[in-house]
Amino acid sequence: MSDNAIIRVDNLHKWFGLLHVLKGVSFSVVPKEVLVIIGRSGSGKSTLLRCLNFLEEPSSGTIDIAGQSLTITAGTRYDHNKAIAMRLNTGMVFQDFNLFPHMTALDNVIEGLVTVKKMPKDKAIPMGMKYLQKVGLEEKSFEHPIRLSGGQKQRVAIARALAMEPKVMLFDEPTSALDPELIGEVLDVMKQLALEGTTMIIVTHEMGFACDVADRILFVDRGIIAESGTPDQIFSHAQDERTRLFLEPIRKVQQI
Amino acid sequence: MAVETIKFPGQPGVDPDLEMGHSLMAQQRREQFIQTVKIGVVWVGLIIFLIFALLQFNFSPAYVFKHFGFVLQGLPITIGVSLASIAFATILALLGAVARLSHNSIAQGISGFYVSIIRGTPLLIQIYIVYNGLPQIGMALIDKGIPQGHFFILTAIQSGILALSLNYGAYMTEIFRAGIQSISGGQREAAESIGMNSIQILSRIILPQAVRVIIPDIANQFIAMQKDSALVSFMGIWEMTYRANRFARQDSKFMEMFVIAAILYWLLTIVSSWAEGLLEKRMRHAYER
Repeated sequence: MSDNAIIRVDNLHKWFGLLHVLKGVSFSVVPKEVLVIIGRSGSGKSTLLRCLNFLEEPSSGTIDIAGQSLTITAGTRYDHNKAIAMRLNTGMVFQDFNLFPHMTALDNVIEGLVTVKKMPKDKAIPMGMKYLQKVGLEEKSFEHPIRLSGGQKQRVAIARALAMEPKVMLFDEPTSALDPELIGEVLDVMKQLALEGTTMIIVTHEMGFACDVADRILFVDRGIIAESGTPDQIFSHAQDERTRLFLEPIRKVQQI
Repeated sequence: MAVETIKFPGQPGVDPDLEMGHSLMAQQRREQFIQTVKIGVVWVGLIIFLIFALLQFNFSPAYVFKHFGFVLQGLPITIGVSLASIAFATILALLGAVARLSHNSIAQGISGFYVSIIRGTPLLIQIYIVYNGLPQIGMALIDKGIPQGHFFILTAIQSGILALSLNYGAYMTEIFRAGIQSISGGQREAAESIGMNSIQILSRIILPQAVRVIIPDIANQFIAMQKDSALVSFMGIWEMTYRANRFARQDSKFMEMFVIAAILYWLLTIVSSWAEGLLEKRMRHAYER
């Protein structure tokens, strides 16, 4: 673990009722790093990501993001206002986009700037356009989400998260709800972000993409990090039996 | 994106595919129009039948024409009481629904108690309590040397609006609650993830979407309220039912007078439904491909 980490998670636990989903997860991310989290459905990888911006309340553990730290002890109340303040350090992209359907693409992107950051609209609009341009959708700025394809929706959602200028971008299976022919355009945007040095944590099933873009891969199995390493270490020289069992059938299909 | 058309040589500008589509659509419109006309004819037939039937039984059209204007003068009061009541009821319902969905036990308790007590008692009793019951408390307070007691003594119109607002507010609380709950959790999460607080999420993300869902229900409540406003006539408010009742009793022309009132209520609800249709159409804009 390096000292200049922008995110540090220590001994994170999460229970859903009696279900122990995260069993003491610890890892850290340095600035400009792209961390990809892989694992089976139900392994806890999405929960882990959602804990990082407190959409899911961690049951216990410590989360440090960009110098702010929050320690949660099981069974005690914690500082929710601090958690909400820490949320602004992360930008979240969801599997099913969750664009606001009653707003245009541009209004979706500037909603946080105007409402949360209290930026005047005449300043927010050029900024919103800048981020729509970044995802290649400036000509769709006045369309409502219903008139956009799945890939376009997800790109608007990425622009909405970027506009808040978070320190870290979180992606929760960003291409899982997309038709196969639309996945590429979203992955291209994410690759571009990675090249520009955006710090990202990505939960995905796109192994080819993970291999391409990741600096480091975490393999999560039953609530713990079973193995972590570079794409080469994970995909070609996995040490852990569980990692090999998980990747074997995928490698046959995706030919990595 | 340009529409691709197949053009045959020698027939510039004519696209048989498009022509066929147009003629099929025209055919469909014609059939729909004929259906509408047929239904209209049935309605006219029913109305003529009712008029004919009434005329067989000592029904005086001249009396109807003579007193139509008198009942009509009550229409603005009916509309005014309904509009004021639906406005207050909407505010109550919004507060009630937000309280019911909050995590605050006091707010939840108050909201649940309000909905339960109002839905569990007849509207007529609520009107009696507000109009006849509250002044009793007011007088007692004044007797005890508290001059603010006069706030409990309401005019007939104030009582009517208060009772209708309280009553409809309770039913509409449930409508608002269902509407808010119909918006997916993902919307809330997305708003939370860009740092919005719960008031911002409610006012900017959830309510604008929920209102669109519940507009037909609110309109239904408004139409029902226009008719329930007849109940306030017993307090001596000169709205349509009171006016109809007056001459009906005086001249024993019950059928004539109440037919007038019925027609006016009917027309009022037809206009309201039409206005609601327009509103719904306007709000659909963002959701049309």
